[in-house]
Amino acid sequence: MRWLRPIGQDKLAALSLFLISTTLFAGLFAPFLAPHAPDEVHMELRFAAPSWEYWLGNDQLGRCVLSRLLYGIRPSVLWVGVALALSAGIGTIVGFVAGYFRGATDAVLMRICDGMLSFPGYVLTLAVIGILGVGLENILIAFALMKWAWFARVIRTSVRQYADSDYVRFAKTLGFGDVRIMARHLVPAALPDMAVAASSTFGSMILQISGFSFLGLGIQAPHAEWGMMLNEARTVMFSKPELMLAPGIAIILVVSAVNYLSDSLQLALDPRLATSRRAPHSRTVAESAKLQGSEVA
Amino acid sequence: MRQRSVIGLAALAMVMALLAGCSGGEKNHAEAPSDKGKVRTELTYAAAKDINDMNPHLYTGSMPAQGMVYESLVENTPDGIKPLLAESWDISEDGKTYTFHLRQGVTFHDGEPFDAEAAVKNIEAVQSNAAKHSWIQLSTKIADVEATDEHTVRLTLTEPYYPTLLELAMTRPYVFLSPRDFVDGGTKDGVKGYHGTGPYKLAEHQTDRYAVFEANESYWGGAPKIAKVTAKVLPAGETTFLALQKGEVDFLFTDDRGTDSIDVEAMRRLEDSGDYRIVRSDPMNTKMIVANSGKQGSPAQETAVREALWQSIDRETIGKQIMSGTETPAETLFSTNVNYADIGLKPRDFDLDQAEKKLEDAGWKPSGGDGIRAKDGTPLVLKLYYDANSASQKTEAEFIQSTARQIGMKLELVGEESSSIASRRSSGDYDLLFNQTWGLAYDPQSTIAAFASESSYYHATSGIASAAELYRKIDEVTASANEETRKVLYKDILTIVHDEAIFIPLTNGSVTVVAPSDLQGVSFKQTQFELPFEKMYFE
Amino acid sequence: MGAYIVRRALIAIPLLAMISFAAFVFQHLSPLDPAEVVLHSQGVPKITDELIAETRAELGMDRPFLIRYLDWLVSCLQLDFGKSYVANQPVWSLLGPALLNTLKLTLVSVAAILALSVALGVACALKAGRWLDKSIRGLSFVLTSAPSYWLAALMVWYFSVKLDLLPTSGMDSARSYVLPVAVIAIGYAGIYFRVIRSSMLGNLNEDYVLYGRACGLPESTLVRRVLKNSLQVAISIFGMAIPTILGSTVVVENLFAWPGLGTLSVRSVLSRDFPVIQAYVLVLAAAFVLFNAVSDIASAAVNPKLRNDL
Repeated sequence: MRWLRPIGQDKLAALSLFLISTTLFAGLFAPFLAPHAPDEVHMELRFAAPSWEYWLGNDQLGRCVLSRLLYGIRPSVLWVGVALALSAGIGTIVGFVAGYFRGATDAVLMRICDGMLSFPGYVLTLAVIGILGVGLENILIAFALMKWAWFARVIRTSVRQYADSDYVRFAKTLGFGDVRIMARHLVPAALPDMAVAASSTFGSMILQISGFSFLGLGIQAPHAEWGMMLNEARTVMFSKPELMLAPGIAIILVVSAVNYLSDSLQLALDPRLATSRRAPHSRTVAESAKLQGSEVA
Repeated sequence: MRQRSVIGLAALAMVMALLAGCSGGEKNHAEAPSDKGKVRTELTYAAAKDINDMNPHLYTGSMPAQGMVYESLVENTPDGIKPLLAESWDISEDGKTYTFHLRQGVTFHDGEPFDAEAAVKNIEAVQSNAAKHSWIQLSTKIADVEATDEHTVRLTLTEPYYPTLLELAMTRPYVFLSPRDFVDGGTKDGVKGYHGTGPYKLAEHQTDRYAVFEANESYWGGAPKIAKVTAKVLPAGETTFLALQKGEVDFLFTDDRGTDSIDVEAMRRLEDSGDYRIVRSDPMNTKMIVANSGKQGSPAQETAVREALWQSIDRETIGKQIMSGTETPAETLFSTNVNYADIGLKPRDFDLDQAEKKLEDAGWKPSGGDGIRAKDGTPLVLKLYYDANSASQKTEAEFIQSTARQIGMKLELVGEESSSIASRRSSGDYDLLFNQTWGLAYDPQSTIAAFASESSYYHATSGIASAAELYRKIDEVTASANEETRKVLYKDILTIVHDEAIFIPLTNGSVTVVAPSDLQGVSFKQTQFELPFEKMYFE
Repeated sequence: MGAYIVRRALIAIPLLAMISFAAFVFQHLSPLDPAEVVLHSQGVPKITDELIAETRAELGMDRPFLIRYLDWLVSCLQLDFGKSYVANQPVWSLLGPALLNTLKLTLVSVAAILALSVALGVACALKAGRWLDKSIRGLSFVLTSAPSYWLAALMVWYFSVKLDLLPTSGMDSARSYVLPVAVIAIGYAGIYFRVIRSSMLGNLNEDYVLYGRACGLPESTLVRRVLKNSLQVAISIFGMAIPTILGSTVVVENLFAWPGLGTLSVRSVLSRDFPVIQAYVLVLAAAFVLFNAVSDIASAAVNPKLRNDL
């Protein structure tokens, strides 16, 4: 984990890391941290201003905005993370197999990946929602479905670079098994690229899932989700603009932190970027991955 | 090579500019409400959806738009049935033959004369697509329609049917389209144009953008004063509010599915600005939740579950808080001012204890850690469908969900387009859904007829013990010529559905119009589905 | 170059076949019987076994799968995607105009993105490390992290209502483009300008610049030189951005009532209008593949080095 070290030296990156871990923690322990139940209705407190009992005020059903914000971390961030991990997992396996064995295996797997990647992200997600119906879990399925191919591509390129390296060849001639070579040599080598790819897509996934909830295609009421909270706030945006603030700022903070961290990771990996002494077309795997993964919500 | 790329870029930029330019010059915006001076003659209303297929003999088009373009033989008014395209009519002794004397000198928008032949062709076109119209009982009872002379049409029924004129007065399907627009002599496979006889004609339609209706200068009732009505498609919510504030649209009304695209608070703010005023019709219908007693395996099949849900809804709060006091709680399916409906049904009060007891007695016991009741392994979970375009329905749904949760009933909310909810209603693919009665012109006779109609509430009512009796009585009531018998039958019918708690009333809804403050003559019809634009004018 | 185009096109064909197959299988993935799905969506009141059998026959479900697929493919190639359940019109009559509108929005947005990212990228590269560079990068960072609908709401409120400069929604005039394009452009330019910046910085450190500087060439000449080289990157970005944006205008279109594919697709999903969804998936994926091919060919035309990539 040598490549993680520079992050500790960058104050903003450290702050981002802190922010993300706090968010994850708050999401995991929302039931203990939230002052109220997120779906507790108090019609008499409809649109009440912030008070000591309700720090961020109440929404259109008198529910505690702070509690909903905390519970909202789960679908908005945690579940997105799960979908990401799932697709990264599948993608990594496919990428390793394709990159390491090459030949026909590689060709077939990569053509499948090409096929998956030719569906723009939103389109595939809409297709999945179209078949399975609206709901958070269906969007997560769609995410896992469409991102794995992309991860597979990134990992394959990265593996291919190292699979050619002398020490892998050496290991092969020594008669080490494929699995052992992969685990010993290729995984650690490809790990940084994976980290950059995953972190850079995490931010845009958070934005996208909130976008889908905002359109009413994501999570269903009464569950709290940041995009959904914004959608609800939108109908009263001019009489109660403050309701737009909390979930909006939460999204911006978390996504900024994720993106910043992803940049720092990349920088840590590729110090050349810092001095910027590169030809325009020799982009690193990670950087081009980053560009392709950027679908703004 | 590099130079070429620069040139290429420049060329691309120019193409962009052209494309942007091509998409039309400045369209006339609705004049801002603050513009004073010469009398305005245009209105632009915000529509949540495109006007869609305007074929008047099918059901996908926007009803307010169809109401402007097409007319029926007779009109339903607060004072009863009045002439429209038929100047007068005779009903035979046995109640089976209706003879209509058509208004003379009426032409369709394309110049074709509206005469007996055209009328007959239209009615035949509707009849040839019987399956689509089974919800209107009249369609199953027309034996024959013929033109006896140029301006007389004779309608023969298979049996007497008292709501005949009421159903002929509906916004669709018994309205008239120029026979020149027919495809293969009919309308069920689409039409070539949308030429009616109404006060407005469809002048321009840009799918998902806008539709322009221009005054029919040769309208038999005199050209309307508002020369141009534009329906502009806008997403619900703050976009509509902003567009009203800016004057991009200057008119808004509760749509034909009963949803308001901006919330009550926003309407108030517009009214406070002085540019707009709010006009509300008298309570016109009942907003309700329909429980599907006919769905296999659904807890909604049980009367006790439906009753418990009924008692777990706090209608006071819905009316006062969610609807900001603009709607009153409804205790029965039809409010007492509806014909035949003042029969002293016993209201079921909001009472969570009683609701819980009902469930308990029916064998729904708390199970598991989450407090959701279950019976024989079936959890008490119901899916409630609401219109995704309606902010108030979603809030109501969430509110009802939270109180139902307290009696151990779990409601899963699903927001969909209204067309999808309508198809769920007819295919029976739901536990609970939001709906509303059809308005004064249709209540109770048409709404009740719809209880038995397969394309409407058939599934909802089919699961109750006395379903057969209910359908028999519905058949009888419309055929009966005797007012007293009808009263008795209607009472029985309404008592059955009330006792079975199929239609769970929420509030009495009305049509709300947000209009420029200087617009006069804003009135309502007997239905929430249309607005008389031809009667409006600016001071 | 010709050989490259052929090779690139050959790659696109199996992809298109895969896409069309996936889109066809699409309707069979639903947990329900496709015939039942059709009947439900059409709101048929009483779904009997005979009716299901009838619909299956009507859909041609009794024929072998592959034959049905080929039949379907042939009619799709003739732009016959069936009839919408909701609008009761041929799907293409809904999809065609929507595609055109989305295309307009996309092209204008890409032009804006390009202009914005080149301008910002160059400015930042020339002032690298100074306050201008830092503040632009910081601001873009926050803006790209904000949900587009949130930004859009703020912008509509400010520019349309407060300043009364622009229409709030719709597609009525050239001015209608400003806000939706701005929302899309802010999101993407924030990403792409950094690529241009780093490519500029890379170029500025190249040997030819150092050499030129050593030889006493004026700085403006050098900058122009570097700029031209960096434009290559810009063009490949341009190519990459078109297909990506084409498929992701969903949120913005819905916010601004833009009568394009995004609005159509969301409405179709919410009203379970399967023929429209299916055609949407097919058409957009095909467009995506085609645009990618064209943009690869364009990049290869500009940069011969890329021609060996295949």
